[in-house]
Amino acid sequence: MAGVNRRWYSGMATTEDWWAVWLGLIMFLAGLTSIWGWDLVGWMAKTGTWVWGDFSWDKALKATGYQEWHPLLSLLVTYLVFTALTCLGAAAMKLNLKRFFAGWTLLFVMTWAVWIMGHEAHFKASVNEFDKYGLSWGLSLGGGFSYMLALVVGLVIGNFFKGFAEFLREAAKPEWFIKTAIVYLGIKIGLMSIEAASFTFELALAGIAATFVAYLLFWPIVYTLSRRVFRLSREASAVLSSGISICGVSAAIATAGAIRARPVLPVMVSMLIVIFAMIELIVLPGFYTAVAPNQPIVNGAAMGMTVKTDGADAAAGAILDELMRANAEANLGVVWQEGWILTSSIVTKIWIDMFIGVWAFLLALVWVYKVERQPGQSKVGVIEIWHRFPKFVLGYLLAWFVYMAIATLGPELSGTATQGAEVVEGPMRKMMFMLTFVSIGVITDFSKLKGMGKLALLYAIALFAIIAPIAYGVAWIFHHGMMPPTA
Amino acid sequence: MKADLEVSLIHDGTYWIVRHPTLEARGRTLSELDQDLTQRLREKGDFPASSQVTVFMGFDYDTIPTWIRQYAYHYFNRYVLLRL
Repeated sequence: MAGVNRRWYSGMATTEDWWAVWLGLIMFLAGLTSIWGWDLVGWMAKTGTWVWGDFSWDKALKATGYQEWHPLLSLLVTYLVFTALTCLGAAAMKLNLKRFFAGWTLLFVMTWAVWIMGHEAHFKASVNEFDKYGLSWGLSLGGGFSYMLALVVGLVIGNFFKGFAEFLREAAKPEWFIKTAIVYLGIKIGLMSIEAASFTFELALAGIAATFVAYLLFWPIVYTLSRRVFRLSREASAVLSSGISICGVSAAIATAGAIRARPVLPVMVSMLIVIFAMIELIVLPGFYTAVAPNQPIVNGAAMGMTVKTDGADAAAGAILDELMRANAEANLGVVWQEGWILTSSIVTKIWIDMFIGVWAFLLALVWVYKVERQPGQSKVGVIEIWHRFPKFVLGYLLAWFVYMAIATLGPELSGTATQGAEVVEGPMRKMMFMLTFVSIGVITDFSKLKGMGKLALLYAIALFAIIAPIAYGVAWIFHHGMMPPTA
Repeated sequence: MKADLEVSLIHDGTYWIVRHPTLEARGRTLSELDQDLTQRLREKGDFPASSQVTVFMGFDYDTIPTWIRQYAYHYFNRYVLLRL
């Protein structure tokens, strides 16, 4: 039974969820060795700001640790290391290795090309840096411009060069890349916790509220709307409600599985979710920045409750983080630390993710023992909760808690531990974000909305008239007044 | 939970189908599937008449399109008690 999750350890070597943990922990451990004075991650390349007409590789690119290396050597080693690791994962997951390798290589090259372009000073430099780069004007978009450019490139390929998109599809795995990035983010949150422990605790606590809202408020409202107004079947209503209200495709699949729906149902809903998540990702960061420029944490948390799929949420959170910080620096005269807005959107989402197994288990009990009652015939195993638990969260929490433990139990090690950690949670995490942006665009084909009629209309109404406003209100109630530490 | 029989479960777009090296059963609904499986087991005679058989049906995730696997990798498994 090759494709059957039979045991608790099923899928550890063969699923993207687990491979996000492995890729995350390999670099987490490599970074941690800086405690013993080693630098196993200094080969990682990172981008630098450059000015149009004055391009040089030394300015646009550099190694994070090995300063004597030529920037292109650093980029080559970065390519080789990540190619080896991702191809190892692809082989274990039984993907077509040749197609994965070719697609991955093209994605990698496009990602870095876009990333370097996005760091041109007229796009990226803040107003305070204009003199440094000799600029008379600039858009001051920060790192957010690179993310938006990556998304645009991906969307153009996905919608206008469909043959090329199909070729890239084997390697374009936004959820895998973003889950790996989220494990790296665990390191960042660990480091941030060292500096602002109570704030991190507040964020985590407020995120719990989002879980209750998603499951106990959004779900029944959307379910009732589907049944009463749109006259959908019980099965379709339940799957759609979970997809819109909870955590997108994962929730749609989990719910459909829990109520034993025909697989075609979650597949159709999943297509809707992926496409609408892209629309949210494009619209919401700019919208929130424009209407509430002084509510960074509220905006981040609202994003976590509104944007479905982890990839789109993390991507939207990253753009929001960059846009809001650049805007605050230019217009509010305050420089917020990078990462807190992104963290508020991801922490909220991760809470929601973690409880999908429990929710699906409860739904399964209701369906098996009440809705389709067959006394004494069918049983629901508790292990179904574990099978649905998002495993990448384990890597994220481990990284977070280890760095918190170092700060608490061995504060004298914090300095050396931070050296390696900064490479992993900085350039490596951002590279995985960039790969996510290109990939998420590549796999999004808006023409798939054709023929979805009633379902697409219901999704749009529920998302923009119910989920988004309520999410914002709840985020405001629980996060109002919370501000990120200043840089 | 211990099962007397383990089978894989798929959906082909129309029918739920369970497969085992020595038998196959199908049904438009899961109830129909259970009835068909019960009938097949009676015909095979591997279990005593009037006995209760616990069947583990593990959903074969290869049924779900590849692109969805990055979002979720589990559908559902069933334990069913059949009275022969």
